[in-house]
Amino acid sequence: MEQLRQGADRGRFAALLSRREVLQRATALGLGALVTSALPAAEHIFVSEAAAAVQLSDATLQAFADTMLPGRKALTTDLGNEIHPLAIAGVDGEPGAVEADALLLYHDALIGFDALEAPFLAELSARSLTRGAAFLNLVFEKRVEVCLEGLAPSNPTVLVWEAAAAVPFTAFLAAGEQPGATIDTSSAYQVMGYPGAAPDGYAEFSYKRRLATELTKHGYLP
Amino acid sequence: MPERFDVCIVGSGFGGSIAAFRLAELYRAAGETPSILVLDHGPRHQHTDFRQSMDVENLSGIYGLIQGEGVQIVVGNGVGGGSNFYLAASLRSPTETFERGDHRPEDGPDRRMWPQEITRATLDPFYARAEQALRVQRPTWKQVAKSGGLWAATLDRAGHTCDRVPLAIDLGRCIQAKWCHTGCIYGAKNSVITNYLASAEEMGVEVRPNLEAELIVESQAQPYRYVVTAWELDNEGPEPTRQPTGRSSEVECKVLILAAGAMGNSPLLMRSRPALPSLSGQVGRHVGINGDHIAAIEYDEQKVKELLRLPGFGQTYKGNHITTMTYDYWVGKSGNEWDGTRFTLQEIFLSTLPHILYDDGRVPSGEPSWWGIQKKQALSAFNNQIEILAMVEDTNDGEFLAAPPSGGAIRPNAGPLWVGTFNYSPSEQTVRAGEAADAAIAEVLGKAGLGRFMKCTFRSANAAHPVGGCRMAESKELGVVDHQNEVFGYPGMFCVDSSSIPTSLGVNPSLTVSALAERACQLLIERSTDYGLPVKPAGFTPGVPGVHLGPHTEPVRRTSDKPIDEKVRHYEDVYP
Repeated sequence: MEQLRQGADRGRFAALLSRREVLQRATALGLGALVTSALPAAEHIFVSEAAAAVQLSDATLQAFADTMLPGRKALTTDLGNEIHPLAIAGVDGEPGAVEADALLLYHDALIGFDALEAPFLAELSARSLTRGAAFLNLVFEKRVEVCLEGLAPSNPTVLVWEAAAAVPFTAFLAAGEQPGATIDTSSAYQVMGYPGAAPDGYAEFSYKRRLATELTKHGYLP
Repeated sequence: MPERFDVCIVGSGFGGSIAAFRLAELYRAAGETPSILVLDHGPRHQHTDFRQSMDVENLSGIYGLIQGEGVQIVVGNGVGGGSNFYLAASLRSPTETFERGDHRPEDGPDRRMWPQEITRATLDPFYARAEQALRVQRPTWKQVAKSGGLWAATLDRAGHTCDRVPLAIDLGRCIQAKWCHTGCIYGAKNSVITNYLASAEEMGVEVRPNLEAELIVESQAQPYRYVVTAWELDNEGPEPTRQPTGRSSEVECKVLILAAGAMGNSPLLMRSRPALPSLSGQVGRHVGINGDHIAAIEYDEQKVKELLRLPGFGQTYKGNHITTMTYDYWVGKSGNEWDGTRFTLQEIFLSTLPHILYDDGRVPSGEPSWWGIQKKQALSAFNNQIEILAMVEDTNDGEFLAAPPSGGAIRPNAGPLWVGTFNYSPSEQTVRAGEAADAAIAEVLGKAGLGRFMKCTFRSANAAHPVGGCRMAESKELGVVDHQNEVFGYPGMFCVDSSSIPTSLGVNPSLTVSALAERACQLLIERSTDYGLPVKPAGFTPGVPGVHLGPHTEPVRRTSDKPIDEKVRHYEDVYP
């Protein structure tokens, strides 16, 4: 929770940044042309929703995480953190990346995504606005369209998008915010059928019979 | 005034630890206390420090996930290097590897890639020595993991052979938890901190963690040859920054052994080039990933039961990470006309994380297919999936563009994600070899009719086996070190690790790194007086490092998996 609070503080700080600063950062990553083309709409976002920026940016990250690894509707994560009611589209019946605390991982200083957050969200917003709404307000299919564009190899900023995508995957596949995660603690591991930490190991780990003809005497070629 | 040691070793993975042990043996045999210092940029781990967890804080202390342009490479971070986190497959590389030619004009063409002194036959005694030290044993079929057994049965059904893979694991001690990748908590895996390095320290070798070698200059004080400047890294305490503390130290040595790995040696030498102007122009070039090319298979459990008459699967998480592989796409291809076409296919569990990489099976293909609703649903079949590591004959397509300001990679924060200053752009041969491996796996599955092929569709390559950058060759024009691993133009300086390997190996590289290190040490010891080291006594023979577990916990193996199996099945019902 401490990390989440720190994340929220950073969100407040980000909200205080002028639109110009955000655009400068975005430009530095080659997003300038795209952002500029979406400027009238982006201005609307930045100005009218500034007061709600903390929730908006975090909710948008959750919505992006849900597009990468969609999940069931939920209001709290494995670790008890809040999920924005609009973030999860609810297209899958099983827990997804948001429930696996993807947002906490986005704000984990050990990941360092905060440096990419502003330009990433700027591009995500710009691409969403061309479809008529902020990413958070798009239906799932439209969110997918936005992400297909962002993650296309031809997108000059694809690396930023891949970094943004890697976070929910790490939260889900590796239970990145749960030390010593097991199937008892990680909803993702429950979905995967993965026991997680296993300090007692397994007894029935082998079929215990020869299953193929072998080519070599020692296991390696001459 | 720099501190003086006869031998300074940079890095403590397989290469560095073997050098420490073998040279310490020489000192002991000569009746002297070893004057050998080992530096490592990482923290010191005892095996009891390891945790079975992939949480980011844990990974921050043990891994570097280095993002280069076009490739992500994972390296071990800490005393013991990659040996703490390897999956212990210990294989001799086939004869054809060492006979390979390279068809690319810049290298010949048709030049033998390895120096003529290096053949499988000349390496065999050193392979044997490393196997003995690392206690390599081959699992019986009763010890083969279900995942490996399933791969074997799949190959068999498709008309192929499949071999059990020798492992550097004490299989009596191993609890078969498939958690080698974050370090064995019981010391069952034979990482160098339990043998070579621990034995070296017992003989008096000094190991200093948290020191990153940054610069090498030549010494003017003969018989000392080199001065190494090292920066201290803040790796300890409850909240380490893992950045330089501002403190540095200097070590002057007669023999300098660089064993910082393929991700460490090149940047160090490139940064030092102004002081070492005679270095080969090949430093930092021809960085490879050992031909790593990964893919996955998703099994239809019903077909596993019906067609293979096995009692189902759904337990990919049990047993050793690597237990079986096929050589059918390698054998019968002797002769240089086959170079670049051979590969092996090995069943492997890398960790849960690489499952980001595999195709979700979306039709039609063409769009990125490693994320989204189909991907999510594919992940719910995780425990019926296995990963296949193809090790193909690629062309070492990476290159360091510059040395980072410090260390081998830029560390933007205290976390595990580092930024590399290298690029990786696969050649046509590399691409063809990968495609051939994919086609082979798909063909096997097609014949066996047991499941579906899941291609790695991620845009960049991913690897755990970086090699090259200081490759060995016949001459300075072609490589950085000679067949003795000695740097061209700089007597007494050696690259004794994966950085010296000029080609992919067709097998996991740790045993070949070890065999080359064993060989380099033997040759160095035979010339010890040239470098001001003790005279090799008559009758000196290399021994076998002991097993040093240190304070440890005895593993208690489950007698029945019923409780955990039932729990997994319960969640399969909840989340089908």
